[in-house]
Amino acid sequence: MAEVSFICKRTVISTKPVQPAKFCPLSVLDRVMERNYLHIVLYYQSPVEQSPGELTKKLREANAEMLSSFPIITGRLLKTPEGHWTIKCNDAGMRMVEARAKGSVEEWLQNLDREKELQLVHWEEMFHKPYFWSTFYVKVTEFEEGGIAIGLSCTHLLSDPPCATMLMKAWADMTLGGKMISPPLFHPLPGRRPGNTKTNHDPYVELVDHYKSYIDMPAPVFDTKQATVTLRFEDEFVRRCITGISSEESSRTPFEALAALFWVVVSKVKGTKGGLTNMSICLDMRKVLGLDRGFFGNCMVYNKVNGDGIEGHELCEAANAIKEVVKKMDADGIMDLIEWLEARNCQNPPWMNGYDLICVNLEDVDSYSALFEDNARPLRASYYIEPPVGEGQILILPLPAGARDTFSRVVMITLPENEVKKLLEDALIQELSPTILMGLKKMPS
Amino acid sequence: MPQVLPNFSNSVKLKYVKLGYQYLVNHILTFLLIPIMVGILFQIILLGPEEMLKIWQSLDIDLVQILCSSFLIILICTLYFMSKPRSIYLVDYACYKPPVTYRVPFSTFMEHSRLILKDNLKSVDFQMRILERSGLGEETCLPPAIQYIPPTPTMEAARGEAEEVIFSAIDSLMQKTGIKAKDIDILIVNCSLFSPTPSLSAMVVNKYKLRSNIKSYNLSGMGCSAGLISMDLARDLLQAHPNSYALVVSTEIITPNYYQGSERAMLLPNCLFRMGGAAILLSNKSRDKRRAKYRLVHVVRTHKGSDDKAYKCVYEQEDSEGKVGINLSKDLMVIAGEALKSNITTIGPLVLPASEQILFLFTLIGRKIFNPKWRPYIPDFKQAFEHFCIHAGGRAVIDELQKNLQLSSEHVEASRMTLHRFGNTSSSSLWYELSYIEAKGRMKKGDRVWQIAFGSGFKCNSAVWKCNRTIKTTTDGPWQDCIDRYPVHIPEIVKL
Repeated sequence: MAEVSFICKRTVISTKPVQPAKFCPLSVLDRVMERNYLHIVLYYQSPVEQSPGELTKKLREANAEMLSSFPIITGRLLKTPEGHWTIKCNDAGMRMVEARAKGSVEEWLQNLDREKELQLVHWEEMFHKPYFWSTFYVKVTEFEEGGIAIGLSCTHLLSDPPCATMLMKAWADMTLGGKMISPPLFHPLPGRRPGNTKTNHDPYVELVDHYKSYIDMPAPVFDTKQATVTLRFEDEFVRRCITGISSEESSRTPFEALAALFWVVVSKVKGTKGGLTNMSICLDMRKVLGLDRGFFGNCMVYNKVNGDGIEGHELCEAANAIKEVVKKMDADGIMDLIEWLEARNCQNPPWMNGYDLICVNLEDVDSYSALFEDNARPLRASYYIEPPVGEGQILILPLPAGARDTFSRVVMITLPENEVKKLLEDALIQELSPTILMGLKKMPS
Repeated sequence: MPQVLPNFSNSVKLKYVKLGYQYLVNHILTFLLIPIMVGILFQIILLGPEEMLKIWQSLDIDLVQILCSSFLIILICTLYFMSKPRSIYLVDYACYKPPVTYRVPFSTFMEHSRLILKDNLKSVDFQMRILERSGLGEETCLPPAIQYIPPTPTMEAARGEAEEVIFSAIDSLMQKTGIKAKDIDILIVNCSLFSPTPSLSAMVVNKYKLRSNIKSYNLSGMGCSAGLISMDLARDLLQAHPNSYALVVSTEIITPNYYQGSERAMLLPNCLFRMGGAAILLSNKSRDKRRAKYRLVHVVRTHKGSDDKAYKCVYEQEDSEGKVGINLSKDLMVIAGEALKSNITTIGPLVLPASEQILFLFTLIGRKIFNPKWRPYIPDFKQAFEHFCIHAGGRAVIDELQKNLQLSSEHVEASRMTLHRFGNTSSSSLWYELSYIEAKGRMKKGDRVWQIAFGSGFKCNSAVWKCNRTIKTTTDGPWQDCIDRYPVHIPEIVKL
């Protein structure tokens, strides 16, 4: 039964015309993510006594206002003479789809699965001629009995999850108060800071090698059906997990602990022999590179964690390995990678999510401060990094309305369907008593 | 160098000669009367007061004669005032300003066109070439139903657009003039391509609860010149009904007329027509003489429909796939030129000063009798009018008229800038242009304005207005937020 019905699709235009003949070039970190795209879904309770379509109209008008500050979104992709992607700011606008859904948003959230949730986003694959292809898509679904879901899809070429979240927040600020609290910043990635160059600095070879290996690999195969589940881990259980790994609580961050936990469990579920399964962690490098939160563009870097020789139960070893890699990803290391990518000038972009298990740290992503109406925080925020190929994905997200230093987390796990089932039944996971916010699709009985 | 100077000084001399001639001919009565009056006064002074008294007493007029003569004078005066046509005043007008969220930049228009006409890339290219040379800007607006992918031109959407445009314009007008709904005696709505049942004028009567004895008219199918046809109709009605207000609404509803096929000649209107509308309040009440902005002087209508080519040059028809659109023929400009010539021939004698008319007459006689090779004299309409509002039908129309009437770029600035900012809004474009001139502070008391509109049929209609009071630059109106950016330079071809 089609629960979500399509109303219309249109293009939202910025309220101010752009200055003609402006170009926004894309950085190497942007271009390397060409194969991927993102979905974000935010759910809200809508205020009482609003006629259908009224809130959507308000959102659309605020969106148009907001787009005046984001000419890169309303522009279109073009290749430079060197063969790199750039955006020509031609004021073409962003696509928006409006839809209606039966029931209320709470009912929807209670029996949700991956397929249903993806009905709330709209995405179109890049056209053969991308000059007519919108890079961002927004879908606003109003629930007939209350609630609204806002789905944003965009190509990873322009934006990573923190950046897309910043866009949602800007939109929310514009809807609520008519102006953006933190306007975006558009500038290229910073160069190496001259004063900090250590003499005889060893280049961070492992990071560069990791990207190199991806670039050289053949295209992955999409065959298994993937499922996504969302689990919520409460503060005390995460702390218990951390103390379980090492006696000192302060030596492990929730990300490291949860990443290690899932690494071990997923390896077990996949039946990997001779160590843990191949995993890459993906971290936001904005703080490391000294970039402001409003920086628009990609700034997330992947790095391999070596699981050879770690036995299935050695959570401590796993966590150590992760911690090592996190420590090594400092400004100089990232600079090495950026410089190598710039020199390499590869024409065939790699599948960054296409081979290993990926564990993405999105703890700092602040989607719960995107308020479109007074006192209406999102009920939930879901993130997807698509397409779902490779061994699997683990996204570690913050909790709604949590205090800053709480260790509770929401984890979204994407794996082949049979593996997800086994994961949910695993003892290590069960010990931490997670709440299942989104489970597997319920089979009709 | 020496070659140029004689020419320059020659042309300057010629200019002064021309100015002298014009001044002489146009004020000939003054030049004749003043010497005569001075002569008579001189004579009277020479005669002296006693002589004057003697002449007066010798006249021997008795009471009956005085009474009869005064009755005769009074009778003649009464007959004159009774038969004089009532003055028609334009109290005020309001133009619809589309919200900025309806804006359609070139790139979006081309993108939508490409997504919808994906099998007909030649047509898409054609549209792009039209847009590049169209003279439109990036802020013209289309209604929401046309911005959907694919467009959904339902009747409900068309009614929605009509309500939004017409009601906004009328609300704005009522606020400006302070008029109440029950005061409106005559209502005329013109919208060429959208004509539902009940009519748009009935829609206005329903929304504003107008009186049950209102005289309402709905003109449809009359093209872009329908605005001036409505003015003509309003004028005739106001002559028949004393002490009345007439509300005229001119608009064109875009939603139902978006051509969804791929025939090239029929894609042109899609590229040029944009949302717009205007509401105008006319009055023949003497108390509005003070507050009215303009007085209607002439309306001249020319219809070339008896010629088959002119009749078919803007023709609504189905294309080979059965999709309805408006076909513009290739000789549109030629026909427009002919229609304009016809119109000018009628309006010329009404408005041109005597100097121009005499010159024209002499050259006409000369060409007929002496030498047919003499160049026909094109009367200088800049003598008759201070401002020109040429219907912003497209860049070609404005260029053609500028050339034919020998107008400077400042004269056609209002038309070009309206085309740039609002696109071709059909019958209401003349009001946006007038609003531009007012917003620039150029409208002074006594200025004469010539509005020219072309329309399917093929019609060329003109209206002449005289400004009643100097209009201060207003803080409202469709140009309020962007007038400072104008005039802009519009390049020949905008590279897309």
